[in-house]
Amino acid sequence: MDVKTGKDRGKVPFEEEDHGELVPDLAYNETALKSIFRGCSDVIFRSIRLGGETRWIVVYISSLVDKKMLDEHILSPLIKRRTNPNENVSGSIEALDDLFVSIGEIMLASKISDLVRYVLNGYAVVLAAGNRRAMAVSVSGKAQRSLEEPTSEPVIRGPKDGFIENNSTNIGLIRSRLKTSRLKIETFTVGDLTQTEVALTYIEGVADASLVEEVRKRISEIRIDGVLDSNNIEEFIEDTAFSPFPQVQSTERPDVVAAGLLGGNIAILVDSTPFALLLPMTFWAGMQASEDYYIRWPIATFVRWIRLIFLVIAIFAPALYVAGTTFHQEMIPTSLLLSIAGSREPVPFPALIEALLMEIIFEALREAGIRLPKQIGQAISIVGALVIGQAAVQAGIISAPVVIIVSITGIASFTIPRYSFANGIRLLRFPMLFLAGTLGLYGIALGFLGILLHVCTLRSFGVPYFAPVAPLSLRHIKDVVLRVPVWNKTSRPPAAESEEQGTR
Amino acid sequence: MIRPILCIVLLAAVLLTTGCWDRTEINDLAFDMGTAFDLTEKGELQASIQIALPQQAGMTGGNNQKDKFFVLTASGKNHIELQKQLQKKLSRQLFTSHRGVIFISERLARRGLDDVLDVFTHDPHNRLRTYIMVVKDQDAKNIVQVRYPFEEGPSEAVRAAESMGGQLSVTLRDFFIAASSEGASPVTAVIQPEIPDGNIEREMFRFTGAAVFKGLKLAGFLNEKETDGLLWLTGRMGHSRITAALPEGYGNVGMVLIGAQRKITFIGGGSKVKFNVRLTGEGDLFENNTSLDVSKMQNLRIAQKALEREVEKQVRDCLFKIQKQYQSDVAGFGGVLYRSQPRKWKQIKNKWDKVFPEAEITVTVKLNLRDTGVAGPPLQLKKREIVN
Repeated sequence: MDVKTGKDRGKVPFEEEDHGELVPDLAYNETALKSIFRGCSDVIFRSIRLGGETRWIVVYISSLVDKKMLDEHILSPLIKRRTNPNENVSGSIEALDDLFVSIGEIMLASKISDLVRYVLNGYAVVLAAGNRRAMAVSVSGKAQRSLEEPTSEPVIRGPKDGFIENNSTNIGLIRSRLKTSRLKIETFTVGDLTQTEVALTYIEGVADASLVEEVRKRISEIRIDGVLDSNNIEEFIEDTAFSPFPQVQSTERPDVVAAGLLGGNIAILVDSTPFALLLPMTFWAGMQASEDYYIRWPIATFVRWIRLIFLVIAIFAPALYVAGTTFHQEMIPTSLLLSIAGSREPVPFPALIEALLMEIIFEALREAGIRLPKQIGQAISIVGALVIGQAAVQAGIISAPVVIIVSITGIASFTIPRYSFANGIRLLRFPMLFLAGTLGLYGIALGFLGILLHVCTLRSFGVPYFAPVAPLSLRHIKDVVLRVPVWNKTSRPPAAESEEQGTR
Repeated sequence: MIRPILCIVLLAAVLLTTGCWDRTEINDLAFDMGTAFDLTEKGELQASIQIALPQQAGMTGGNNQKDKFFVLTASGKNHIELQKQLQKKLSRQLFTSHRGVIFISERLARRGLDDVLDVFTHDPHNRLRTYIMVVKDQDAKNIVQVRYPFEEGPSEAVRAAESMGGQLSVTLRDFFIAASSEGASPVTAVIQPEIPDGNIEREMFRFTGAAVFKGLKLAGFLNEKETDGLLWLTGRMGHSRITAALPEGYGNVGMVLIGAQRKITFIGGGSKVKFNVRLTGEGDLFENNTSLDVSKMQNLRIAQKALEREVEKQVRDCLFKIQKQYQSDVAGFGGVLYRSQPRKWKQIKNKWDKVFPEAEITVTVKLNLRDTGVAGPPLQLKKREIVN
């Protein structure tokens, strides 16, 4: 499988220019940096003078550093040194190290381009006169939101913290759950202009080593200007682009990532988005919520069955209605048929058009509800319910059974717990609707076979998408149609098959 | 990139541009709920179809009195002709798959159903689960015109009542099986419209026993008691209620039967064949209009004996009619003989019509009263009136 590279887009990748090395002359260095940062008013050059001459220059971006840390740990030690002339003032950069002992992370760099990168990443760079090297001090304090409950995957019972837009916090959330040195975190920088930090995370010995190598390769081959969400990464590394089904699971929940890592999955955390990626993904992972494992197993099993039933409804209900009322009237129970016929009596459209119209309106309502500000979203749903539910039926434009079918289908598609997976399912009912409207039940059977065929041939990073149902693995199926008690679940998911056969 | 799109476009064209599209909207169909077949004076078939008028749910406002159906009548030589005639009177396509009941007039049934039934097996739009009934005394057309207050229309009501059980219900499938099996003859249920003094508000219908066919010709009717006997004989009794008068004017008792079984055994015999019919049933005593304390075992026995005698009488009455009067083996005795002694059956197969009326059939009944309800003697009786 080949990964799309920058060349495929017919564009020369943007390379950071080489600006040469630092020289002992502080003024020269300052000019060099200033010319690079020309027009960047948020880059601050703070000169600290000693005995009439500039001895140190601190370069930082005001919005990316923690001002308090900068004051306490860099500026005040330097200034204290100035006001205390008794001390032996050494000009060497190594001496600064002693000054900044209260700082955790300190780097030395001699290349100007490296320094530029540090400044852009929220470090404070200290240039000292007479030195060929400068020191980058980590005082980064980006604005970030506090940990909140994930809005896209809420649970009743279970951990309530969610990822935020800061990668180190996110990695911390995972590390605090998996306190083992076998949890490996490899960072990559992706995006020529965004220079986004992408962390490849896995548990050594649990995740398949060759899979880790493959993912590593695919990530390092990505050529793109900007990475703004993990979906940018997802589309580069997935196997089959022409599929409604996501082959990489995205989640906002650290506990889902931790569970995935324990199950031999690989997680990719992307800076500046709260959505982490988990791979490989299977069809059944799309049907499972993290809460399945936090509630008692009989209830979780029941809920899984409900979801499976509603999955079928979400894909087939409108299609079955159209096929039944336009081709197979003899299959509908007599009294039901008569009441459908009664409500269809004034309707001017064929059943297919009617169902299609309502499905599209439903999708529009859903989309409008998401995009609008929360306050107006309420109004949309009221208008939608009233106009379509009541008025259209009373005016005889749409028949009541279609409204019922469309609402059931809508609810059914919302029972699917993974958002991106549910979107794929929602899309499938339109081709099914066309097949049902042209070929009847035969068309539905064809469509079902097509979906089945696609799902069975689909692979997510080498793992069959429909596993463990096809290919059948009785050992793993316990966790698909059932949710066996945790003490009974003795094998890891198929993703981790090739490695050690651990328990749980 | 261009190829998959081209494929989808071409496939869509295949789906959307083919001419032969059998799509039919529900509101382009006329649902035939029940058909009545009569014989006209000229000897032609006459069909009266009851077409449902779909009621618009939720559209209330004065039109509750709207008719739920209307009836169309046409006559012709055979079904195709009938259908053609009927379709000419309809703006929507006639749809027979939801037909619940076929009514045959007595006159037509007596003439024979040979040229009436075939279409129900040939035309795939017909269901073998459709009930078939004979309309006694009157034209079958009358029954489809009854304005029955429940259900969508009389046919639907008949279908619902038939499937309720407790009475003889014969579908086309049953009819065909009986007509085509060795040593058996078909029966159907009998229905009669009841229109008291032309008062249209109280139009009803009533099931009045069974119609016994010989071959495909109606031989005669059984009344309701005899039909109960027939149900016992054909093993279709299932759930039912039996009442019996106690001897010497003691009063009467009633039971609710829950499990009824029948076993016909061939005993043998030379020129005269002999059968034994053994009927067993279980149930509870639900009515006790006597002064007996039925919580006592010996009293329960008395009630049980009376009930058994009643069942035996019903069965004997029924047997007498079908053996002597109609000479039609509707209970399938011939089939029993065929299954137990195929060789003997071969010998007498052709003269079975002669042999069956002369067959000696003994009936034994064994009912088991398991429970007496909550009271022993009737509660309204004083202590001294109760017979222990």
